[in-house]
Amino acid sequence: MKQEVLRLPAEQLFQKEIDALIAAEKDPVPAGWKMSPRSVRTYICGGKVGKTVITPKYIGHERLVEIAIATLVTDRALLLIGEPGTAKSWLSEHLTAAINGDSTKVIQGTAGTTEEQIRYSWNYAMLIAKGPSLDAMLKSPVFHAMETGSIARVEEISRCASEVQDALISILSEKRISVPELGLEVPAQKGFSIIATANTRDKGVNDMSAALKRRFNIVVLPSPANLHAEMEIVRTRVEQLSGNLDLNAKLPDEDVVEKVCTIFRELRNGETLDRSQKVKGPSGVLSTAEAISLLCNSMALAGSFGKGDITDEDLAAGLQGAVVKEEEKDIVIWKEYLDNVMKKRGSRWTGLYKACKELNR
Amino acid sequence: MGAGIHFFGIRHLSPAGAYYLREYLEEKKPKLVLIEGPSDLNDQIENMTRPETRPPIAILAYTSEAPVRTILYPFAEYSPEYQAIVWCREHKTDCRFMDLPSEAFLAIPYRDDIDEEEGEEGRQSVYQGLDRAAKEDGYDMFWERTLEHVDSTEGYRQGVYTFGAKLRKLTEGKESDWMETLVREACMRRQIRLAVREGFLPEEIVVVTGSYHVEGLKNWAEDAMSEEEFLALPRVEASHTLMPYSYYRLSTRAGYGAGNKAPAYYALLWEAFLYQEPLRASYSYLSRIAGYQRENGTPVSSAQTIEAVRLASSLAQLRGSKAPSLRDLRDAAVTLMGEGRFSAVNLAVADTEIGTTIGALPDGVSRTSIQEDFYRQLKEWKLEKYRDLTAQELALDLRENRNVISEKSAYLDLYRSFFLHRLRILKISFVDWQQVTQDNATWAERWIVRWTPEAEIELVEAALKGDTIAQAASFAMKERVETAQNMSGIASVIEDAFTCGMAEAVRYALTALQAIAVDAASLEELALTASRLSVVIQYGSIRRLDASPLIPILTQIFYRACLLLPGACVCDDNGSKGMQAAMEQLNKVDLAHDFLDHEAWLLALREIANRDDLNTKLSGYAAAILLERGEMDTEHLKLEVGRRLSKGIPADLGAGWFEGLAMKNRYALIARLSLWEHLDEYLNTLDDEEFKRALVFLRRAFADFSPAEKDSIAENLGEIWGFHAQQVSEAINREVSQEEQELLAGLDDFDFDI
Repeated sequence: MKQEVLRLPAEQLFQKEIDALIAAEKDPVPAGWKMSPRSVRTYICGGKVGKTVITPKYIGHERLVEIAIATLVTDRALLLIGEPGTAKSWLSEHLTAAINGDSTKVIQGTAGTTEEQIRYSWNYAMLIAKGPSLDAMLKSPVFHAMETGSIARVEEISRCASEVQDALISILSEKRISVPELGLEVPAQKGFSIIATANTRDKGVNDMSAALKRRFNIVVLPSPANLHAEMEIVRTRVEQLSGNLDLNAKLPDEDVVEKVCTIFRELRNGETLDRSQKVKGPSGVLSTAEAISLLCNSMALAGSFGKGDITDEDLAAGLQGAVVKEEEKDIVIWKEYLDNVMKKRGSRWTGLYKACKELNR
Repeated sequence: MGAGIHFFGIRHLSPAGAYYLREYLEEKKPKLVLIEGPSDLNDQIENMTRPETRPPIAILAYTSEAPVRTILYPFAEYSPEYQAIVWCREHKTDCRFMDLPSEAFLAIPYRDDIDEEEGEEGRQSVYQGLDRAAKEDGYDMFWERTLEHVDSTEGYRQGVYTFGAKLRKLTEGKESDWMETLVREACMRRQIRLAVREGFLPEEIVVVTGSYHVEGLKNWAEDAMSEEEFLALPRVEASHTLMPYSYYRLSTRAGYGAGNKAPAYYALLWEAFLYQEPLRASYSYLSRIAGYQRENGTPVSSAQTIEAVRLASSLAQLRGSKAPSLRDLRDAAVTLMGEGRFSAVNLAVADTEIGTTIGALPDGVSRTSIQEDFYRQLKEWKLEKYRDLTAQELALDLRENRNVISEKSAYLDLYRSFFLHRLRILKISFVDWQQVTQDNATWAERWIVRWTPEAEIELVEAALKGDTIAQAASFAMKERVETAQNMSGIASVIEDAFTCGMAEAVRYALTALQAIAVDAASLEELALTASRLSVVIQYGSIRRLDASPLIPILTQIFYRACLLLPGACVCDDNGSKGMQAAMEQLNKVDLAHDFLDHEAWLLALREIANRDDLNTKLSGYAAAILLERGEMDTEHLKLEVGRRLSKGIPADLGAGWFEGLAMKNRYALIARLSLWEHLDEYLNTLDDEEFKRALVFLRRAFADFSPAEKDSIAENLGEIWGFHAQQVSEAINREVSQEEQELLAGLDDFDFDI
């Protein structure tokens, strides 16, 4: 079956796995949940149920996944913090997909997010025509989640203004929402919770208040622990994405994935993998997510304009774009890296080195 | 199991084991309990259960002859063996150790982990396998989840037995210490058999041993070590003592046998068993972390603690265990109290998991001869009041006190100093030497003295080095001489031996020094050695020691340094720092002693000062020394400045020379107007590029001059250029003109750090 939608929500993409897990459920299921905490863990970290293979969605750091799930069992709200591209949103989407079978109750935190978007707002035409009534009310995803006893997601919470963030405090501590216009008090059903994500690079933009932080269990998501884990993540995700996007190119082989991950890790950590040499880091983060999109990009280049195999030239173009974000500074760093590190890596890297060098003439 | 004897396999340091073992004893009411422990140390059992005894404690057995080897049996309150001993005392039941006698144990050929109670090497691979299987949890957590939270005596006993038996099957015969295990078990079987022959019925005996050995002891009736075999065991002379131990030490010996990583947490588990509240350990753990955080300025609410308990329980459920394990608790604390970051709670975690508990023994129980010597000397030198938990300062005057009659009281402070220095050499934390005053008064010493139970433990450990403080210190110094890599290492031992007043150690170290003094050594090494020896020779008399045997060797080393010095001055600027320090040291040595060959030293300095092919900074420095000693007159200096700073010489070399020259006796330099005239002439000869280069070095040369010194230089220069102080001040304080500003802006690109 050909997929028309650009990006399906997780619960539809992995419908089969979720169904299999629910069918094989043996452990007690908490109120409002579709499966037991253990099945949620299997869904996220991978495994096997009967004959269905569950693909791992979050690789490495299994313990952090357990802490996240255990948090939601205790009806506490969960805050995932991490550098950009450490799969915060990805994890939050899959958690809600597994727990509720619905990952779509999302509020995207931006500088323009208002308090109404967190609580509720009105259909003004109807409000003027009929006066305040339930019909005229536009419920926010959080409102819906409270009514149905499910989990709402707030993305990039630290991008919202402080007063908007603080609207969550009463919701999380009282676990009810009041609508004074209608004289209503809506209590949250069992199973209601919130998963918020925040970016460490935004620290200091709209710092979360202590009162709000206290209402969350905080889990810090790190970058992948080692090259092997990162390669695994990249490979899995590129495979899934390229299927969706019809890229007409062969999947990148081990060698290519390793090269990209090596370069990314070295620039990110500021030293070579064998820790023998210091490397200057560029202005961007160079997250795992960027490595994934870089490879998809290279596949698109290869598929559309090349022979379908990712060549060193395709890769070089992608790397150039990923590393050099601020022309002046980053280009120097990138050139230094090419000559000081990559050039000395031997014949396996020669092709890539030449292609990168070509772009920086 | 096995012919009526009751076997109870345990894991050492296991709260569940301790609790269920007590239950088991309560049920079986044995007449004799046999415990895995050296069978010749039964006399310590009595002391272990005296009312004043507070675990953690340890039995230490050690060989009397060097090289000293040890075996250590630590006991915490939650050690099953310890609880078995306590139970026996409460119920007036016979209780004995049954393992290989310590004398035989210590005679087993050396292995790396000899002081581990259990041979680990071979089992290591199994543990590693378990580690991998338990993933992020690791072997420790596996054990805690599987066995520490078991809720019945039989459950624990069977579980541990199964674990031990399986482990044995997997590793049987594969370990390097397998033979040792067989011998030990044969000996334990012999002890069981002896007990039965003595008249105990098999079913009246409970055997408490590591789970690994249960399988090996069952056939005690058929096969045991015979009397001849027992007597034929190789033995060494050994002593033993009971000593206080600490949780900190337990945690550093983590591994299967003799320690665990979180002793304070295990104590909480033990408490939970006593109260029969399985979750009590979780509550205590998290409340303690919260308490620690609050005390140290991080607010943690009770609500957060409650949520942490809930999270930990929920994590435990996810793993299918009833009570949270240490890892669940720690993760909960990180998530709730540390905002997801371990670094925010790591101190609290260390405090709660390891803690500072230290054991105690009744007075007189833990008395190795070195402890007796220590207390005797404490009394003899009237230092008893310093045996206190609060730190006290002790100021010593090493000179003879002429107001008293007896020799002992006249030199009381000197003897105290010897005593304290010996303790310092043994790294006993009772004393802390404040070295600051050493430079200005050689006869005064300051010490900070503070008694802690840790110090007692260190003292007991020092027993391994000798029977008295002096012997142990001498042994420690010999060890240092033997492992010293170079001359200065040995020289530092000589220095220490002098401060300790130990003539014999001085002689020993001196012999060693003479043996390697002819070997090749770097100049820095020679200088450091010479300076150490020189200190001893200068101040040895205050310690009433004869330093004259050191004179020949110092003369020899010093002369060699003089000969090598010019050659060693060929080095780059990085190397010059060490060389400069070496020259300074040698100069001090030369000034301090009449017996040295001063001519050789001055000759070396002159050569360095005159030669052009050496590091210019060092040439400058040599000139500075000569100048300071009055060995170079103004005329010569003038010549030298002119030559060094003349046009043909590259700017960095000229400036480097000046930098070296300026490192010493600055006032004399500043006062010499002619010097500054030369510098001025020199700068005038430079073109722009050369000037910029020279600027960098000159700037460095003047960098550590004080503002007042810089002022004087500025005045000098002002005088040369014909300005008065007044004019200079005006020129500096007037507003900066447009043109000057541009010039200054141009400087921004100038890299001062070339």
